Amino acid sequence: MVKFYQHVFNYDYQWQNVTLAFWLRYPNPFASHVLSVDVLDRHVDENGVLKTTRLVLKKGKVPKWFPQSFVKNSEAFVIEESEVDPKTKTMITRTKNLNHVRVMQVEETQIFKQHDKNPEWTSCKTEARIVSKFGWGMTGRIEGFGQSTFIANAAKARKGMQHILQIIREKQSPFYSPV
Amino acid sequence: MSSSVGANCTDLKLKYDSCFNKWYSEKFLKGDTTSECEDLFKDYRACVMSTLKEKGIDKLLDDSRKEAPFPSTDQQKQEGAEKTA
Repeated sequence: MVKFYQHVFNYDYQWQNVTLAFWLRYPNPFASHVLSVDVLDRHVDENGVLKTTRLVLKKGKVPKWFPQSFVKNSEAFVIEESEVDPKTKTMITRTKNLNHVRVMQVEETQIFKQHDKNPEWTSCKTEARIVSKFGWGMTGRIEGFGQSTFIANAAKARKGMQHILQIIREKQSPFYSPV
Repeated sequence: MSSSVGANCTDLKLKYDSCFNKWYSEKFLKGDTTSECEDLFKDYRACVMSTLKEKGIDKLLDDSRKEAPFPSTDQQKQEGAEKTA
């Protein structure tokens, strides 16, 4: 079985700042599990869309009931691909984990758009797919764990974005780089 | 700003990130898509790639992309349309 997750959220910030916050979102107090972030590829395509591939290293959390011998290293590499189209004010991001994929694969898509009714707001639609190929009668339990963890982490991720957005607003500058 | 996966690449990353953030807010979002920061990116990327190779992550990266490439945006739009239909 596969588990799905869908969520729509409005940020009380302009689209430009939300997309900037996406780049600046680590580190933040709600993401202590993020160890590193790197840009692997980045270019502007022929349509003026900025395409970026980043690699994020996260400290994983393994549930107590999971056989420890299967996960020697709980660090997870996550690949993040994104497209920013400033003309349509749309940012699409996709992430998935690179290792531990047999235990669990989590794929997440987020679409950030200027809000239809209020240009001062940004709507963010999140969709995720959680699938385990582990077997041993544990697939359902792993996917259930993955889903509840994902929901908790998604809430934390929004807090992290809000934190960075608040700093951007306080600086009252279109450009801010936290140290 | 966040660290790089390679401890010795973090300085290069910070320089590149600062350049990118400035370009992104002041140029790209305002319609100027001419690339900047290319030289800084080249040095930073080379450092990251050699770290990934050392850690054996470069193969993981290639394999993962072969196995399950991301669906194109168009495909996703279609899927979205089917769901709402």
